[in-house]
Amino acid sequence: MRLPAKEKWLWLVPLIAVLLLWEFTAGYVIKNPLFLPRFSAVIFSIYVLREVLIPDILVSLLHFGIGLALAFAAALPLAIGMGWSRNIFKAIDPIIEILRPIPPLAWIPIAMIWFHLTHYAAGFIIFIGAFFPILIDSYTGFRDVPKVLVETGKVLGCIGNKKQIKYVAFPYALPSIATGTRVGMGVGWMCVVAAEMFGVSDSGLGYRLFQKFYFLHQMDYVVAYMLVLGLVALCLDHLFRHFVEDKLLKWKKGIVK
Amino acid sequence: MNHKLELRNVTKTFNTEGGEMEALEDINLEVKPNEFLCIIGPSGCGKTTLLRLIAGLDYPNSGEIILDGKEVIGPSPDRGMVFQEFSLFPWRTVLKNVEFGLEIKRVGDKARREIAEKYIELVGLKGFENCYPYELSGGMKQRVAIARALATEPAILLMDEPFGSVDAQTRNILQEELLEIWKRTKKTVLFVTHSVDEAVYLADRVAVMSARPGCLVKCLDIDIPRPRKRTSMEVNEFREKLLMLISLERSKACISV
Repeated sequence: MRLPAKEKWLWLVPLIAVLLLWEFTAGYVIKNPLFLPRFSAVIFSIYVLREVLIPDILVSLLHFGIGLALAFAAALPLAIGMGWSRNIFKAIDPIIEILRPIPPLAWIPIAMIWFHLTHYAAGFIIFIGAFFPILIDSYTGFRDVPKVLVETGKVLGCIGNKKQIKYVAFPYALPSIATGTRVGMGVGWMCVVAAEMFGVSDSGLGYRLFQKFYFLHQMDYVVAYMLVLGLVALCLDHLFRHFVEDKLLKWKKGIVK
Repeated sequence: MNHKLELRNVTKTFNTEGGEMEALEDINLEVKPNEFLCIIGPSGCGKTTLLRLIAGLDYPNSGEIILDGKEVIGPSPDRGMVFQEFSLFPWRTVLKNVEFGLEIKRVGDKARREIAEKYIELVGLKGFENCYPYELSGGMKQRVAIARALATEPAILLMDEPFGSVDAQTRNILQEELLEIWKRTKKTVLFVTHSVDEAVYLADRVAVMSARPGCLVKCLDIDIPRPRKRTSMEVNEFREKLLMLISLERSKACISV
């Protein structure tokens, strides 16, 4: 999307306003860094922490990567089956609907027993968080393939489930898979913090955030980690949109925008 | 007598919630090679069902459908089909849509492109090869659908009210173009419509159907030389004859209901 130069920077205005408001309120109204550290103090903390931050970001990204990759690998084949065949859907849907409402955090004790203090324990919690959004959006995509497209495929020689899925259903469902993955990434990233915080890990952003609070009550560090968590997620989302939505889903333009 | 397509005692019933519904009753029809046959009838008379049976998308309960001496047992690219609703694959460009059937057939890249370009030119869409369907008008979409159906070189072209969802002026132009394509490719065309004007303008022969259960009432040869003038005396006379026949059928159907 091309915007004129002026509109391109429009987003900066409210952002700077909010940051100034934060700085002013914290410094002159609340005047208690335990309650609300100043923005400048938080930035300074990020600067102080710059060297220890990187390994923690990498550990958190590792947990995230393990969880998301497994969730995607497990959800996609299941979504194809459930979306394409009514019988598979009827057979599996009840199990999915029983497991889905269980909060990912409720799996933490099981993760600790099964995987101990390994990266897989945190990865498992993220897997639980990301799996269901990816599955549900994806199977909806496969289920909603218009009949006329399947039949068009058939009269052009695209016969049999394997070919129909490959040439018709999969491309049709791709936007839904992308949406599910994006939602799954969001939920997964929230689980990163929780998983690491509750002791499934002895490093990572979430672990460090809670440690700073629990032992030191250093709120400027805590908020610094919060900001880093937000920024990393923002980068992940932008990367995803750049590589998947802009490149792969060009043809959706007419429908969405 | 050498027939391209032969329907012998074809019957089709659907199982609905209210019991069995007879859609087609004892249809007998012969189509000559290179013939342009229009099937006309009130909505709900089963003309689309008839076309779907020939395409192999549905199966008759009894009777036989024979194409080039072989019984039809399922969909195949030797019968090209153009649907009433827009049926382009939205994720494929015009070129890729036309190439679809050839891709399934595993025709090599270069040959595939050559064939596709030939048919894109035939339907007058040269220069639009790399457009996505969302960038095309309704008439253009149907032209791509025609090119795509022709690209696999089918023995017969089945068209199910293909111009039903385009505006009247575009429809006239598309009809002229279709006749031109038919003349050049020497295809056998089976064209379903509910428009008397369309049938009289296009067809060599028109088959009139009646509703519930759908059966063929009469076949009329239209021996008006081409190019036909839509407003000429002979065309008007024929139109009147056809309209009378159809309204007679409709009143009969009302009495029997």
